[in-house]
Amino acid sequence: MSTIDTLKYSDQGLTDVFQTVAGGIYQSDQESCWYVDFAGKIARFDYRNLIKLKKAVYGIDIEAALLKSDKAADIEIVFICACDHCYVLDILQIIALKDLLAGTFVMLELNQIICDRLYRIAI
Amino acid sequence: MKDLIRVKCLISAEMETLLNQQIKKEAYSSAVYLGMASWCDRNGFDGSSVYFFKQAEEERHHQMKFFKYVLDMGATAVSPEITGIKIEYNSFKEVFEDALDQEINVTQSIKSIAARCHKEQDYVTLEFLNWFLKEQREEEYKARRALELFEVIGEEGTGRWQIDKHVGDIKYDSEA
Repeated sequence: MSTIDTLKYSDQGLTDVFQTVAGGIYQSDQESCWYVDFAGKIARFDYRNLIKLKKAVYGIDIEAALLKSDKAADIEIVFICACDHCYVLDILQIIALKDLLAGTFVMLELNQIICDRLYRIAI
Repeated sequence: MKDLIRVKCLISAEMETLLNQQIKKEAYSSAVYLGMASWCDRNGFDGSSVYFFKQAEEERHHQMKFFKYVLDMGATAVSPEITGIKIEYNSFKEVFEDALDQEINVTQSIKSIAARCHKEQDYVTLEFLNWFLKEQREEEYKARRALELFEVIGEEGTGRWQIDKHVGDIKYDSEA
């Protein structure tokens, strides 16, 4: 059983938010946070840090990185201030993480709409 | 699944970005007015200098209102970096032309945030913006009236001295 499965079936009660072949993001209602399973590790992000991760990843100019012809290594360090985690990713991984985050935020927005429609708006 | 994002923050990420851009615009406005106050003071237009110092303070006050609102809603307010402030003007009139331009830009920007509020049905932010929409009526009126003094009084002879003397008297007291 993988680490994320262990977490899912434990008392944490994780809910799948979005998954791709490269990884997945899970929400813990109990801890009010998200677990990001990506690049071989599972990292815990609270609301602020997840937003910061999204901003950091979206801020990377993938086109410029692809066109870069210098001899520097083809990697980006995604470092988030006041967060315990940092990612060292190559271009393909950045694209995959961007995909994962895009899907996650669409799902979270969809969840907000569902919550509004089902529970919040009084008839 | 709990709606954690909504629990933490009242406004959307897009609205947060727009409001942070507005914070920067207000800070820029304040800095531009200070530059104008400096030019007027250096060139002997004391009345206009006082007028622009006051405008700079008002813009700073607007910036702080936006800043606190963003924080109160659970989002992140960003203290902006301001660069490229003009310090030299070709003429006394140009200062007031730029001031009006500045106010028009701010009004347009607030209008576009209000349009976004309607799109997102964010009536909380829209209600907050109402104060600014009303304030912009006054700001644009004052800037336009100041520029009109150049037509009414004229710049010949002691014209500029007269304009400088009367700029501080412009008041907006519409009850509408």
